[in-house]
Amino acid sequence: MSMMHASGVKDAMTTTAVPPTASLMRWVIAATLPGIATMSYFFGLGVISNVLLAAAFGVALEAAVLRLRQRPIRVALDDSSALLTGVLLGTSLPPASPWWLIGVGMIAAIVVAKQLYGGLGHNPFNPAMVGYALLLVSFPTYMTLWAPPQEMLPNDLWAQITGTLPTTQLDSLSGATPLDAFKHKGNAVLASEFWAANPLPNGTLTAWQWVALAWLAGGGVLMAKRIISWHIPIAMLGSLVLLATLFYLSAPSHFASPLFHLLTGATLFGAFFIATDPVSAATSQRGKLIYGAGIGALVIIIRTFGGYPDAVAFAVLLMNLCVPLLDLYSVPQPTGQQKASPGKPGEQP
Amino acid sequence: MSNAFDFPGGIYPPERKQRSNQSALIEAPLPSRVTLPLQQHSGQPATPCVAQGDTVKVGSVIAKREGMVSSALHASISGTVGEVSTTQISIDGDGQDAWLRLPPLEWQYAEPHALLERLNESGIVGLGGAGFPAHIKARVVERHTIDTLVINAAECEPYITADDLTLRHYANEVLEGAQITAKLCGAQHIVIGIEDNKPEAIDALKQALTNSQPVPVELTVIATRYPSGGERQLIKKLLDLNVPSGGLPADVGVLCHNPGTLLAILHAVRDGQPLVSRTVTLTGEAITQPGNRWVRLGTSVRELLEQTGLNTSELHQVIQGGPMMGTPLLTLDTPVTKLTNCLIAATLEELPPPPAESPCIRCGECESVCPVALLPQQLHWYARAQDDAKLERYHLFDCIECGACSYVCPSHIPLVVDYREAKSRIRLQRIEATKAEHAKHRFEFRQARLAREEAEKQARKQARQAQQRRPSNTAATNSEKVDLRGLRIAHAAAKASVKKAEKTLARVAQEDPKQSLDDLEMQLATAQENLKAAELQLAQAREQQSSEESS
Ligand code: SF4
Ligand code: SF4
Repeated sequence: MSMMHASGVKDAMTTTAVPPTASLMRWVIAATLPGIATMSYFFGLGVISNVLLAAAFGVALEAAVLRLRQRPIRVALDDSSALLTGVLLGTSLPPASPWWLIGVGMIAAIVVAKQLYGGLGHNPFNPAMVGYALLLVSFPTYMTLWAPPQEMLPNDLWAQITGTLPTTQLDSLSGATPLDAFKHKGNAVLASEFWAANPLPNGTLTAWQWVALAWLAGGGVLMAKRIISWHIPIAMLGSLVLLATLFYLSAPSHFASPLFHLLTGATLFGAFFIATDPVSAATSQRGKLIYGAGIGALVIIIRTFGGYPDAVAFAVLLMNLCVPLLDLYSVPQPTGQQKASPGKPGEQP
Repeated sequence: MSNAFDFPGGIYPPERKQRSNQSALIEAPLPSRVTLPLQQHSGQPATPCVAQGDTVKVGSVIAKREGMVSSALHASISGTVGEVSTTQISIDGDGQDAWLRLPPLEWQYAEPHALLERLNESGIVGLGGAGFPAHIKARVVERHTIDTLVINAAECEPYITADDLTLRHYANEVLEGAQITAKLCGAQHIVIGIEDNKPEAIDALKQALTNSQPVPVELTVIATRYPSGGERQLIKKLLDLNVPSGGLPADVGVLCHNPGTLLAILHAVRDGQPLVSRTVTLTGEAITQPGNRWVRLGTSVRELLEQTGLNTSELHQVIQGGPMMGTPLLTLDTPVTKLTNCLIAATLEELPPPPAESPCIRCGECESVCPVALLPQQLHWYARAQDDAKLERYHLFDCIECGACSYVCPSHIPLVVDYREAKSRIRLQRIEATKAEHAKHRFEFRQARLAREEAEKQARKQARQAQQRRPSNTAATNSEKVDLRGLRIAHAAAKASVKKAEKTLARVAQEDPKQSLDDLEMQLATAQENLKAAELQLAQAREQQSSEESS
């Protein structure tokens, strides 16, 4: 009957117990703080306005939908999962995105991707990435407006957030992200020439690398605290580095180095904070390894051959799609059973 | 122990055994009144064979075995039978503690069937918790070759120290009980599996080991991890054998007993003492004198806890069994039975109720701790959706209900509760599905009973006739030539079908102790009636033939 629960015993022999779901979510939120802080240090307060707006939208939308679905609101909000989705989407958007853009993204994330599927635990796709992908496809101009590193309080921050900045001025804000720039260097330009031309605004690459390291720090804490299991991040980063290395070795003048892939864009953020979302990931340990490796490989493939400079969102969503299949075929063999039968071919459920 | 011999998963809950393993095993005060439920074992309840007002001694049979998988019940104090109901018998003590023992048996020289019969009449059942009748378990040799007897002393659940204390005090006796059992089942090896958190019991066993005869005994100390005391988990760990799904340890040549049962077996054989008391761990923060006691069966839980300094204001709940697999008692006015291995009087802080359940976030923690390598999360979905086909395909019935998954679930989902409900729902459905079958079996049983009664009548008639006209017995019988051969064949067939029915019943009863056995017991009874009828007819025919020959 289990009258004992890991979270209720203070004298456990080992402290390997996983914290309860609600505090699990809060831990993940806390672990994003170094990343967010570093980002705002380099890209200004627009990062923080993003996060705050998205989180507020998340909680409000979740409450509204639960209300409509006539579900208890308090209990669901207590699990902080909507807050987390907001924080994750907020950090993914270009700094100081207009409020309506964030709103649309969060509607896609919370209302469509999460609640329409039945709420926490039932969503097949990662909500934050659904929101991100939708925005990327629908509002590409806004989504590629990634300003170069700048001072903490940009002049027209307020105008940007309220969406009142004239469109003509928008372009002047934009700077290319390293991935962007590399993608659009053109085939004729060799990698060495590209770097020699100093193609990015001052400090861009350093900024991105510091941010990546901050995500790594947060993710490391999560892994150490056993809040996320190592399987997905390690498999994802492993396959990403492996594939990037293969490409790079085959033609160093054309392809970006593995380190470049690792430290720019959303790689580390995605590995520790997005791909590890348990709800939309594979469940068995073997399934998680395949799932993570799939994401890593897709990221490199899309970045290299696809139309978008970064690819974490699409890679995650694509692998989300494979999860039912992974779950079916990565069933462990119960002890004493002849074989793990649920996924037997010809016996499709 | 090497890791190759290991079961998957497992958890490390706080042990909390210090609370009850610090003091010696002592006798609890003699209760002035006991209440003995008729069902203290798996299978059919026993049938009372005493009436109100009867005087009984300690060890008098008060209820008989009913059907095959069942167990006899004995008075646990001397006195007068109080109330006899359909579910229990109460006895008012006279304070004399006068005993009625069976004659002692020298097990080294006793016939196996005499030993078996002794287990049967002593009402011995497995004392680890499931309460399976020991004589049925011992009869497994009729169908399987047993190579190894495993003494399951792992005692992996938190709080419980009954086996630990039993071994510290009675290591020699437990091993002697094991030798008796080994003789009964023909085991060539005895292996003790014990967790490394019981150093004193291990020392006692090491001492006792050397003079245990004749089967060699091996002691294997394993790392403490829940649930290493699960039968299958322990067999995997000790012998690296996988008990097949839906099978029994006997299928891989193993028989498993816990130390308490082996001690009871020795007492029954050597001292002729039926099962009237057992060791119970009394523990929890809400009692001031925790420890292990020899408790007479039928003693009230309330009385027992009060004797050990129950602090009623602190008490939150009393759990029977361990905190992982036990059940909270709804009332303290309930008796200690053959199945009560532990009583935890817990305070609220000690075992707080889990917070409200939240949705499954598919984190996979449950999977990583499941000792059977099931997918608890998938089972949870399908149990809630009542998708029974999927549940069986995800091997719900391989779940040992250890609770490791519930223990770690960050969403506090009472997974095991779901599984238990689903299992009993599916069991019910199975019974429903065989209802027509069941009716047919009931009809067959009636037919068989009538046939047997008819045969008895015939036999009596013949005996009368034989007496009346002994000298010349000719005309009638000569005409109907006795088909002795045919009857003999019929008798052999009837005997075989009894054997077969017994075999099926014993197997099913052990595989899933919670499955209802009515139908199988009925089929066995039918076969037995048929056998009796065949025996009578055969005897009758033999009689007839011999009288013909003599005339
Ligand atoms: S441990 Fe609980 S929340 Fe996690 S997958 Fe299992 S059932 Fe779901
Ligand atoms: S209760 Fe069943 S499903 Fe859960 S861990 Fe134990 S055996 Fe596995």
